[in-house]
Order: sequence, then structure tokens, then C-alpha cells
Amino acid sequence: MAGKSGRTISATPQGGIKEKIFSWEGALILLLIAVNIFGAVLSPNYNMTNILRESPRYLAEIFMLFGMAFILVLGDIDISVGSIVCLTATMGCLVSNKGMGVGAVILVCLGVGLLCGMLNGFVATKFTELPTMIITLGTQIIFRGIAEVALGDGGSASMTDIQSIGILRAKVGPVPLSFFIVIICAIIFITVLNKTTFGRKLYAIGSNRTTAYYTGIEVQRIRFFSFSMLGFLAGLCGLFLLASTYGANTTTGNGFEMEVIAMCVFGGIATTGGKGNIIGGFIAAFIIVCLRIAFGQINMNTQLILVIIGVMLIVSVLIPAVTNAINSRKKTKKA
Amino acid sequence: MKKKVLSVLMCAALAATMLAGCGGSSSSSEGSTGAAGGDTSGKTYAIVTKSAGNPYNEKEAEGFQEVIEAAGGTCIVQNPESATADAQITVIQSLISQGVDSIAIAANDANALASVCQEAMDAGIQVLTLDSDVNSATRKTFCNQAGVQEVGQALIDAVYDIAGGEGQYAILSATSQATNQNAWIEAMKSIQESDEKYSKLELVEVAYGDDEPQKSTDQTQALLQNYPDLKVICAPTTVGISAAAKVLQDQKSSVKLTGLGLPSEMAEYIGADDAHSCPYMFLWNPIDLGKLAGYASIALVDGTITGAAGDTFEAGDMENSPYTLTELADGSGASEIILGPPFQFNPDNIEEWKSIY
Repeated sequence: MAGKSGRTISATPQGGIKEKIFSWEGALILLLIAVNIFGAVLSPNYNMTNILRESPRYLAEIFMLFGMAFILVLGDIDISVGSIVCLTATMGCLVSNKGMGVGAVILVCLGVGLLCGMLNGFVATKFTELPTMIITLGTQIIFRGIAEVALGDGGSASMTDIQSIGILRAKVGPVPLSFFIVIICAIIFITVLNKTTFGRKLYAIGSNRTTAYYTGIEVQRIRFFSFSMLGFLAGLCGLFLLASTYGANTTTGNGFEMEVIAMCVFGGIATTGGKGNIIGGFIAAFIIVCLRIAFGQINMNTQLILVIIGVMLIVSVLIPAVTNAINSRKKTKKA
Repeated sequence: MKKKVLSVLMCAALAATMLAGCGGSSSSSEGSTGAAGGDTSGKTYAIVTKSAGNPYNEKEAEGFQEVIEAAGGTCIVQNPESATADAQITVIQSLISQGVDSIAIAANDANALASVCQEAMDAGIQVLTLDSDVNSATRKTFCNQAGVQEVGQALIDAVYDIAGGEGQYAILSATSQATNQNAWIEAMKSIQESDEKYSKLELVEVAYGDDEPQKSTDQTQALLQNYPDLKVICAPTTVGISAAAKVLQDQKSSVKLTGLGLPSEMAEYIGADDAHSCPYMFLWNPIDLGKLAGYASIALVDGTITGAAGDTFEAGDMENSPYTLTELADGSGASEIILGPPFQFNPDNIEEWKSIY
């Protein structure tokens, strides 16, 4: 995985400009343009104003993309985020209904999210022999269980005070607040992953955890931090979801974990760790969002949209595998 | 270098979207000026169901579509991917983008949909609800399948009729906190007290089967043992009525049953002879509710009604046409349209309905 100089561990191979355009990210951008043209042809209402107006629900999900990218690069996985979203939204709603202000709601949502993430991180780093898929499967059930107990018999809670949380729905012109948060997160996380030693360490751990450990990288501390970070972002997602639905129920956040993982994988981040880039995941997220909005506007059957996204995901995993196989065959022929 | 290529492409993507936007918005504005007539042609009416695969909702959408298409309008039926408010918000957002003229919603959650409904109203779309309501300030009117008084009246009349005008009857309800059931039972009691006609009827007990088949069965058996002179059981809940129907029919009891039930579950118990436990029962007709929502949508869009209590509109060939908007009982000043008395399922029509829902 180390570059030729031995100094850097690059996520993408060094190469000429041609390779850059034909890189996965380049292909994704072309696809994003294609999807937008496609959307504009399909629907007369597919324009910036409408996309921005429809986007907040999807943007909340994209918050988690950044944390999930870290986890996947580490070679771990976290399938409990959907439940964390449900639990944070539930707790936020209950706190609000106790008569506390929007500040308390924000604190509770982010705090509960962070705690859930820390619990995941704690178990994952203390019991390193357990696969994180199983750990987070367990916590997924636990978090949703706690939320269901808190929600009580009806399985649903609604906010009585819907005014104060309105500040989270604020817009600058047509641009929703969550859009700025996504952009800020993107800048921070992309810089951290690509430009800092911390980011390099993530790739090192994901490539070979044992080697990384012996080179002095504090593997478990970094994993704990990453899980906590993702929990925090899930809390942020729960908070914004609460601000748009004014309540929580037992189905809140259902399937979010898989949608977020799908965005990452579609963006070229390998679930086996050590490979991929947040930029790819970020563009992939927008492709999926634009597709859903475009298909929604032509009133396509919602189940069919899910099928199309599923097919795209499988194709996106197949293409690199196939091209790798072809490339390696070429190389062996040359040799 | 790589970054530069990426950012150039990103800008191109954004520019493409913007351009697409310009093209799109101009064509949609042409569309709306062209349709500035008073009739339904060129207008688009949407209905949002609770979720895909809900047969009751599908019937509502069917009735809605029939009315809209007969009037020459364009109908959009949207089934959200899951029965959640979140999925409905996504669908409604999309309908706002399309600039439809009206949206009729069978709400999954009253509060969660409030902001998106308000947004739709702010965009000039006529928002109404059917089947289950949203926060009443964020929609124009609500097509109510079951006015409390109408249900209470139908049930007490059925008890009166089946009991032969006098004798003991019992109620088998859902849970003791169930809002709907409690309101209907209260309405039955108050109608019975207010009219001399029902004075020979005696309500001996309100039993609660908690909408669980086994508990409803046990409660029915307890009623039969405790009140040997019982004539009629009235179960205003679909679970309770089917459990009670089975008990009465299996024991060949002389006690008769009525209430609110699903035709598909109750078909084998409905009959006029002694071999069947239920002479007739009630529920709403989802097709009619959909039709009512369709007529109400058209009336809201062409300005016949504004959603204020007291407005009236014609609803084609529907039985109770013309309909009048009435004020909600909660004092909010918001309106609702009551479909009418619940629909009676009897031996003559049960065969036709049992396959529908």
C-alpha cells in the first residue's frame, strides 16, 4: 500500500492526467452530470430551487457518510447508526416535551449520539476479537429497544413545542442550514483524511492492522475515536430529522445504516478497509439524492427507485473488480 | 492536479443543474398559464396513501382516481415506500416541486406532517386529508369516514332493531383508552338517554378485549355466562367483532352480534338465519371516501369551497351530495366533511365486499 517513495500511503495511485479523469471520482462526477441532465429531461420541475427544497431529509443522512467513511477505511463497519438516529430523535423529542428549550434538545441529541458511538467504540476496542458487524448488530437492537421502551405503548412521540426547533430549519435564501453543515463537514473530513497524519493512520490501520500497530500507531484509540465520531454524527442526523418530522417513532431511521454504507461503497470506499476516498462517497451521495428526487418528481413507484439504486450499487462494486482483473491480466502478459 | 480536474468537473455539474433548472422552470410556468381556466382539465390532483400494499388505502385511491379522471383532471396516486411520516414527507415534497393543484393525504402522523403541509399550502397548493387527519391548522379540510354521532346512531339503531326494541345488550370494545371506541360508545349512550324510543334497552356492561383475539373471546364467553338474558353484543372494533362472531356461532348461541367489522373477516358469520351470528354490521366504504376526497379536491381547486365551515359542494352521484363542511368539535374552527352514516354490510352485499377488504 505504501507509495514508491515510502513516505506516503496514497489512497489513489499516482498517475497522469488521463488516469485522473478516468479515476473513480472522475467517473462519478460524469455520472452526477448525467443524472442531472437526465433529471432535467425527465421532469420539468427538476431545478435548483426544488432540489434544495427537497434535500434536507437526505442531507441529514449525508452527515453520517463522513463518519462511516472513516469506519470503513479502518476496515470496520457500524450498522447501528439507524438505531442511534432513532434513539437520539426519541430522546430529543421527550426532552422537548418535558418543557426544555431547543438548547437542551440539541445537547441531548448530540450527547446521546456521542454516548452510543462511544459504547460501540468501547466494545469494539476492548473485545478486538469480535467482528464489529456483530457488535453493532447487538447495539443496533439495544439502541432501538431503548427507544421503543422510551416511546411506550403507542410507539410514537410528537413534539408539542414545534416553534423553538424551527431554528434548525432555517434557510439562507433557498439553501437549508443542513446544506452548510454538510459542506463544512465535507471540508473538515476530506482534509483530515487526505492531508493529516491522522488520516494516513486510518489508511494504514485499514490496510493492515497488525503492521500499523507495530509501527507505533495507536490503533485502538483511533478506532474508539472514529466510532464515537460516527455516533456524534448520527446524533446530528437524529436532531435534524427531529426538526423536520417533529417527532419520533419506532420506524425512525430504519435502514439509514444501509443507505449510508451504500453511498460509501458506491463512492469507491471498500468495506475491506484501506481503500477509497470521502470525495467519492460525497459525490455518490449526491448522485443517489439527485436520482431519488428526479424519480420522485416523475412519480415513479418508490419501490422501483429502491430497485434501481440497488442495481447501481452492485454494478459499482462489480466495475472495479472487473477492471482490476483485466489490468492484472495485462500486467502479467507484459511481464 | 487531481483536485483541479475534480473541481472543474464539479463546477460543470453544478452549471448543468442550473441550466437544467432554467429550462425547467420556464416550461412549467408556461404550463400553469395555459391552464388558467375554471375547469379541471390541465389541473393535477394528487393523493398520498399511508403506504404501498394497504388494500384499504388502495380502495380510497381508486375512488379518488375515478372522480378526478371522470372530471377530466390529471390524477397522481402516490404510495410511500413505508408507512411512516418520513416517507410521506419525501413524497409530498416531490409533489410540491411538481406544482400540483391539490394534495389529499391519508396521514401517518398528525404532527410530523404539519410542516410539510404548511409548506405545500404556502406554495399555493390545496391540502386536504382523508381517513386520518393532520394538525388541523395545516390543511384546508378533512374527509372524515366516521362522524362520531353517525357511528353512534347507526350502532344503537342496529342494537334496537336486532334486539326487537327491548332487552339487555353489552358492548365489547377494544382497550379502555381507545379514543375512537370511547367516543362512539359515549355517543351511543347519550343517544339512548336522549330518546324515549330506546328506553327499554339496557346496557349491562362495556367489556374490553384489548383488540386481542384471545382476550376478546374470553370476554365474550364471560358476557354470555354473566348475563343469561343478553340479546345483543355490539363490538365497535374489527378484532372484537370477529372473535365474538366465532364464539357465538360455535356455541349456536341465541345472542346476536353487530358492530364494526371487516367484510373479509366477517363474511362467514353474516346471515339472516339462526345459523349465523351476525345479521348485519357496519364499516366505512373506502371507495366512497376516496370519491368524496376527489370531489372535495376539485371544489377546493376551483374555489367552490375555501375550507371554511358552512361551505357546501356538489359531489356528483354520491348518496349524501351536496356535502356541507362542519366545524371540528375541538373548537379550533377548522372544518371536516363527514362521509355519512357508516356503510351497512348485510347478507345481500357481503359476497361482493368480502374479496375487497
